Amino acid sequence: MQKSDFVKLSEYLWEVPRSFRGDMRVAARLYASEKMLEHAFRDESIEQLVNLTTLPGIQKYSIGMPDLHEGYGSPIGGVAAIDAATGIISPGMVGYDQNCGMRLLTSQLTTDDIRPKLDALATEIQKEVPSGLGRGRQLKFDIHEMDKILEEGSQHLVQKGYGEPEDIENCEEHGQMAGADASLVSEHAKRRGSDQAGTLGSGNHFLEIQKVEQIFDEETARQFGLFQNQVVIMAHTGSRGLGHQNATDYIRLMQGAMIKYGIDLPDRELACVPFQSEEGQKYFGALACGLNFAWANRQMISHFVRKAWDSILGTAGGKLSMLYDIAHNTAKLEEHEVGGKQIKLIVHRKGSTRAFPGQLVFIPGSMGTASYVLVGVESGKDTFYSTCHGAGRVMSRAAAIRNLSAPDIVRDLKEKGIIVKCWSLRGIAEEAPQAYKNIDEVIDVVHNAGISKKVARLVPLAVVKGE
Amino acid sequence: METFEILEHTGDVKIKVCGKTKEELFENAMAGMFAVLNPKSEVRNPKQRTIHIQSPDINALLVDFLSEVNYLRQVHREVYDRVEFLKFSDTELEGTLAGYEAKEFGEDIKAVTFHDLNINQNEQRIWETIIVFDV
Repeated sequence: MQKSDFVKLSEYLWEVPRSFRGDMRVAARLYASEKMLEHAFRDESIEQLVNLTTLPGIQKYSIGMPDLHEGYGSPIGGVAAIDAATGIISPGMVGYDQNCGMRLLTSQLTTDDIRPKLDALATEIQKEVPSGLGRGRQLKFDIHEMDKILEEGSQHLVQKGYGEPEDIENCEEHGQMAGADASLVSEHAKRRGSDQAGTLGSGNHFLEIQKVEQIFDEETARQFGLFQNQVVIMAHTGSRGLGHQNATDYIRLMQGAMIKYGIDLPDRELACVPFQSEEGQKYFGALACGLNFAWANRQMISHFVRKAWDSILGTAGGKLSMLYDIAHNTAKLEEHEVGGKQIKLIVHRKGSTRAFPGQLVFIPGSMGTASYVLVGVESGKDTFYSTCHGAGRVMSRAAAIRNLSAPDIVRDLKEKGIIVKCWSLRGIAEEAPQAYKNIDEVIDVVHNAGISKKVARLVPLAVVKGE
Repeated sequence: METFEILEHTGDVKIKVCGKTKEELFENAMAGMFAVLNPKSEVRNPKQRTIHIQSPDINALLVDFLSEVNYLRQVHREVYDRVEFLKFSDTELEGTLAGYEAKEFGEDIKAVTFHDLNINQNEQRIWETIIVFDV
């Protein structure tokens, strides 16, 4: 594929017309600057974006976000809205990290208040929230408890004392996805997740102590209690082994079911079945469990972060309040307008965040760079109210390890006043800022294209990484 | 013949695996997976697990085999460096995994994907395929 295959719709919106390939059911759209579009051809991401248009029941167009990069099946940064009555649901598109997502906790402290204790706090948080790649948590849930967590999500944990009622009020779906049925989740998945609630995982997952560096939208910031120089804590992680196994199980099931339903796709990894089929409904119930487990995981992480916070700062630390928690790997049943009619759609967001008008969105940058708080807007209708999810990789992990030196990266960050806590040097090289797109450019695209609006820019004071 | 090779992939980890037989291809794929996982082990405390897998075709069999190995190594914290097949066809395998305890893993593998997977025999009669792991 090349740039000439795209039609420019506006400064930040490009389209591959349906006529480009015989198997396309709709057009493919990409939100990107011209420079980003040119860079997108370096890997398979555009082809993967076009592959999404072949999903049975897809409405309007497949959508790529400016953080688009190559995934497996769907590109990372992809949206596909499928007619719930006649179309499919795709476990392959949602992928393995069900409800990988973001949570932001806010304090009433400023950077000056925290600076003397910052290193101790980062160390304590690292101790309290393990990656889970070695020993799991000491706290291991039995199958009965796991079933409760899978069906009730973070609500169950808050009832058990691992949080406060406001944690539920301020969470997407109130931390509990309806329709979750733990009997649809395998024993394998439950065993993989049993000691992982409250663990970060590896890769780009992290916890950061950040400060609010810049406010773009005073009114929204005030409404949500954000102020200049405020200390906040951001968490990025998902459903860990439970979600990974849950997805593996259903993608396996779909391989046979796709043949049964006569579905033929350009990439087997996009595994899907009709949403209304028995297999589709079972997956939807199992996915709800995966989403709930991820909210429960981030809830446990909040609990242990608060424990670290209290232990280092004492009563002077005050409270860490839950601002919001939002998923960026999901398939959700939503109502949207298509052709002048409101219809029910299964909106698949893979590395893309729901952004309903007035709702907060958190976009993590790469390690050591800025993160953003955005808010959904009415004009986000064009993307089924979806926006980006991160900076997006440009360099493979292998290339990052080959070309970048972890000690240099840590030193550079230290010079900028950023503390890094990570057990693995390889993990630091893999997640180096140079391996990612510039987050500011990505955010400018979604802001200027009118699919979400900038509220605040956050910068890290300390980074605690998974392995 | 290289047993496996780590290739470029922007988002995840992609490897190319080779084997003189399909059984060897499967064993080398497992070795490639553990190379990505980067396990750390202090004492070589031996461990064994039995596996039995049935799948619709050879490509699915490889994904299901590696997924099962990934499950076993995570819940038991073990590394497997050998596999002995008692039964092996395009749709079924049965065998024993042998290895040792792992203290921890330097990397996580979330899952084994079907993306770009295509087991085939090249001109030198060597079996090969690409495997993409979600990490």
